[in-house]
Amino acid sequence: MSLIANYLEANGIPTVVMGCAKDIVEYTGAPRFLYCDFPLGCPAGRPDDTASQQATLELALRLLESAPAPRTTVQLPERWHDNPDWKLDFFNVANMSEAEFEQAREEELAWRKPPPKPA
Amino acid sequence: MILSAKKFGPLGFAPAHDVAVPYLERSRDYYLVMGYPKPYEWAHATEVAFTPLEQPLSQTSITVITTAAPIEPGKGEQGANAAMNPAAAFEKVYSAPSRNAPELGISHLHYDRRHTDGADNGAFMPLAALEAAGRIGALSPRFHGVPTRYSHRQTMNRDGPELLARLREDGTDAAILIAI
Repeated sequence: MSLIANYLEANGIPTVVMGCAKDIVEYTGAPRFLYCDFPLGCPAGRPDDTASQQATLELALRLLESAPAPRTTVQLPERWHDNPDWKLDFFNVANMSEAEFEQAREEELAWRKPPPKPA
Repeated sequence: MILSAKKFGPLGFAPAHDVAVPYLERSRDYYLVMGYPKPYEWAHATEVAFTPLEQPLSQTSITVITTAAPIEPGKGEQGANAAMNPAAAFEKVYSAPSRNAPELGISHLHYDRRHTDGADNGAFMPLAALEAAGRIGALSPRFHGVPTRYSHRQTMNRDGPELLARLREDGTDAAILIAI
């Protein structure tokens, strides 16, 4: 998404990226980035929580309006959970059971299989 | 909403692992252990483009660009708690109405299936929030989907120009991009 954001900005369209993977979005280089410190899959706010989703969007809009320079990151202040242990789970081989690892490997193989050619 | 953390230690600081998840490092190690020794090469910009928003937000037409896909019959499980489903992926830029938008799924993407279920579109698609915000000039008539399975070159040379053309066609001034 940062690549697309850069392309659009270079062609006169202001953008803001909303995302949960701070290191990846900043590494690729986003013009404006609203960082939501939630599990991957929730870059626009907490599921089933309209107030959270509106607060997240509001910060993104304010960032769009007021960022002074490229690579401006703003972090949503809301926390996913009082206990931060959820951060230890995703893609963490040290925390995976053998069964979880095998399932992940099968999913990865399916993902890497080339898609069928369109008819 | 949870805005305050449980405090740890005599000074009330957060624990050391309460930081942004190190996804670059995690994915490198993950694929190495799976037997893919060559790590994915993320794009890494030396310079980042920037266009200031020239007009007030109240005069700005805004669209959303996503990697989520419309849920379609015949493509397997795509909704809540669906396992990784490559059949749900799409290969070309698509556009759909911003109002009465189709239900979207993220089953073709790597997201945190342990801690969220991919069901509520509002958690990854802010169209409803944009309408409710009521302080933008206009919600662009279409939102747009961009594929994720291709090379950086195709993203820059094929999908970027295609999206730009569609944004101009719709008179869109600014875009919110959702990195799922």
